[in-house]
Amino acid sequence: MANTAIQENQVKDQTQSREMLLMELYQQAFPMAARYMSRMGGSFEEAKDIFQDALVIYYEQVVVAEAAPRQNARAYLLGISKHLWNKRFKEKSRDVSLDTSDRLNIEPDPEYQEVSASRLLRLLHTAGRKCMELLSAFYYEKLPMEELAKRYGFSGPRSATVQKFKCLEKVKHTVKEKSLSYEDIME
Amino acid sequence: MKTSWNELRLTEDYLLSRLPGQERVLFEARLILEPELKNNLYWQQKTSELVRTYGRQQLRKEIRQVQQQLFAASEYASFASRIRRFFSR
Repeated sequence: MANTAIQENQVKDQTQSREMLLMELYQQAFPMAARYMSRMGGSFEEAKDIFQDALVIYYEQVVVAEAAPRQNARAYLLGISKHLWNKRFKEKSRDVSLDTSDRLNIEPDPEYQEVSASRLLRLLHTAGRKCMELLSAFYYEKLPMEELAKRYGFSGPRSATVQKFKCLEKVKHTVKEKSLSYEDIME
Repeated sequence: MKTSWNELRLTEDYLLSRLPGQERVLFEARLILEPELKNNLYWQQKTSELVRTYGRQQLRKEIRQVQQQLFAASEYASFASRIRRFFSR
């Protein structure tokens, strides 16, 4: 492809603009969230952990899904952080309770599925990175095809759509093939 | 076997709840009658879930990089020390 350099630059620009947004959000909202969690007895590490989750939720719900106005980023991030903190705090105190009347939830062991999912992801990371990036711009960032075409240097939304389906077919094939062979190994 | 692009697109629209009522009913009827379509739906759903997990992992990676910068780079030293003070009591 002749326009690889341009493509790379465009991808870089996009990544930089998201990084700038994250940087801004972090500087705006982390001090208040950190102060809250320190008062509640949390450690620096815990506060960073919680705030990372809060940023992910904010990004998915406000930036991508546009479920709330963007102006109040600080208030939203503080609210989400407090909520996550309280949730974790409750879970922690339940951990140490010796109340035997707590019922055990009998569910399939989540480890089993997660192992193969993370294995698959590692594989897709190395084997099909470009496709994964394109697909995640569509499925995770929910970019419209016009923007997706611009970001990855396609001539227009049509050719971006064609490439997206090629990638979907390819990744789906890998997922299917590898999932089935892992299941064979596990049995 | 290779899935036709039409099928991929239809399945995608179904998964993203973009099919209008009548087409959705028709698609669901085909799911009962055509095991191959149902099989494809299963793998396509699994793939899009994995892609979303990938997207989230990438975002987390970027957040960690920003974090690293804020608490290590000298240009943000005053921000970092302000935060650390909260936890030094």
